[in-house]
Amino acid sequence: MSRVRTLAALVAFLLLLPLVAACGGGTATAPTTAPAPPATEAPAPTAPPAPTAAPTAAPAPTAAPTAAPAPTTPPAGGALIELPEVNPASVSGNIIIAGSSTVYPLTERMAELFKKDGFGGQITIDSIGTGAGFERFCKAGETDIANASRPIKKEETENCAAIGRTPIEFRVGTDALAVVVSAQNDFVENLTKAQLADIFSGKVKKWSEVDPSFPDQPIQLYSPGTDSGTFDYFVEVIFDKDPQPILSANPQLSEDDNVLAKGVEGSPYAIGYFGYAYYASERSKLRAVKIEGVEPTDETAESGEYPLARPLFIYSDAKIMKEKPQVNAFINFYLTYVDEEIKEVGYFPASDDALNEARQRWLDAQK
Amino acid sequence: MADQAQAKAEQRAALAVTVPQTIDLRKRPRIGESIIQTVLIVCGFVSIFTTVAIVYVLFQESLAFFADPAVTLVQFFTGTVWQPPINEFGVLPLVNATLVISLIAMLVAVPLGLGMAIYLSEYASERTRGILKPVIELLAGIPTVVYGFFALTFVTPILRGIFGDVVSIYNMLSAGLVVGVLITPIIATLSEDALSAVPNSLRQASFGLGATKWETAIKVVVPAALSGILAGCIVAMSRAVGETMVVALAAGAKPNLTWNPFESAETMTGYIARISGGDPSYGSMDYKSIFAVGLLLFFITLALNIASRRIVRRFREVYD
Repeated sequence: MSRVRTLAALVAFLLLLPLVAACGGGTATAPTTAPAPPATEAPAPTAPPAPTAAPTAAPAPTAAPTAAPAPTTPPAGGALIELPEVNPASVSGNIIIAGSSTVYPLTERMAELFKKDGFGGQITIDSIGTGAGFERFCKAGETDIANASRPIKKEETENCAAIGRTPIEFRVGTDALAVVVSAQNDFVENLTKAQLADIFSGKVKKWSEVDPSFPDQPIQLYSPGTDSGTFDYFVEVIFDKDPQPILSANPQLSEDDNVLAKGVEGSPYAIGYFGYAYYASERSKLRAVKIEGVEPTDETAESGEYPLARPLFIYSDAKIMKEKPQVNAFINFYLTYVDEEIKEVGYFPASDDALNEARQRWLDAQK
Repeated sequence: MADQAQAKAEQRAALAVTVPQTIDLRKRPRIGESIIQTVLIVCGFVSIFTTVAIVYVLFQESLAFFADPAVTLVQFFTGTVWQPPINEFGVLPLVNATLVISLIAMLVAVPLGLGMAIYLSEYASERTRGILKPVIELLAGIPTVVYGFFALTFVTPILRGIFGDVVSIYNMLSAGLVVGVLITPIIATLSEDALSAVPNSLRQASFGLGATKWETAIKVVVPAALSGILAGCIVAMSRAVGETMVVALAAGAKPNLTWNPFESAETMTGYIARISGGDPSYGSMDYKSIFAVGLLLFFITLALNIASRRIVRRFREVYD
């Protein structure tokens, strides 16, 4: 009897062994993945903020001569203003950026290139939404650059003035909002802004109420959260700045675009919207709907024909740019190369005039 | 100098004689001892202070929420729409989702956990038990975020495969099932402790009367350990109510007053996690509302804890 029992116990033990091993493995791998981010963050303290004084002098003289001829070529017939070249390796220190989740991937890419070209300091970029970004830039005054997917509001400028900052707006590109449905959805091709308003306000609850040829199925709504600039922009265009209708329709709200993309992918009867960049990265499972018969493309976004296109900005302040040459250099770098990179991120370049204006502002800030 | 030498000599003499004197153990205040005592007192007060501070902050920020003219207590507890940015403050959808998910979790965890506990305490040999128990406890050590992704990427697709498209991508059933798995170890270990504490004489008596092992376990041992088992279940329930990562990942982000487990609905903890993740501006209604929800959550778990203590006292059976 006891022998049988020990045998059974042994068998049970052997069966459990791989289980225990697997669990052990699981707990063992967890810590190895966890320390990864700190490891990448580790170089931060090693970056010496010491030689900031020297580089300040360095770009300045180069800026002066090239800055001079610039105004002589006014932003007329499409010719772009050339900014003085900066060497990212000649500046160091940290750059703190926060703001729009839409501008985030673009700024992140520019920061990567800036580092690749020799910048040894640290760049932190927080994706917290345009409003929160301005709050940190204008109220707390802790950031050097604010990413924004809408122009700064009057009260935000006033907040900035209260702490002695004068925000300078740099246009860096154009984003189109993509209204998306799942790739499994085979009935919605085109929606008007009025239909969008009906759908996202919950005025119509079923697809068949939008168009009798659509299936008799409830509409599932997905929307970016109320802290995001994308939400603000959608509400502005579709609901004339009143968030009441869309919130009373009770959509799934999330600040994380991946959550929204996953939700829309999951059902042929779901509809959502977010920045075109996210649509571009999830293209295989999602489909962008035409708005007023216009498909979101380079041309339609650039020309303003597509109704849901919006400008993208970064904001800084002349005083910060003077005090922190690395910020100055980064904005210069940003404005110089943004057109080459922006499509990779999924947005559209700003018009030449808008970019020229931004570059002119950078030059003006050097005075 | 001379005094010292004299004292030493006296001591030596005393030792030599070895007169058994009664020594007063109390009257030797050592510095090390009192330092340790102070440290321990400070430790005790730190935990009390932390609790008081948390409750204070919760109350203070919630007070700011309820002081807002747009909010009334009646609306808070009876309103059916929760959307603070547009002045809809009915907390029912959040509470409802929390309850539905906790109920599903309990439906999974109670039979499973109790079964494990009965097997471990009544059937398993000493060796099996020695292996199984740590394994179950290991299950409790898995980070909840892992459970969350397990629910979203493994359980939900299976549910959608079984029930079809009526199951939303984010749904309460998947979250509830996984929270159930998450709290099973709590019920299993606590119930097992309660069952093992039942004196062996009861089992022997039951066997003596001709009962089978199953009858003994179900009709004698489980009722005898009922208070411990119920208390364990309630502890698990309050863990399920407070669970955050799983529901934030798998249950969706839409306050929704429904009993349909296939639909997505946001729980109280899910709401707090979502709003905190979005960096709301200080003093906004969104910001204040998370404290009000947090306070309600605090009261719910407090009530559960009090209930569990009551139950332990009420159903306790004292043997020997």
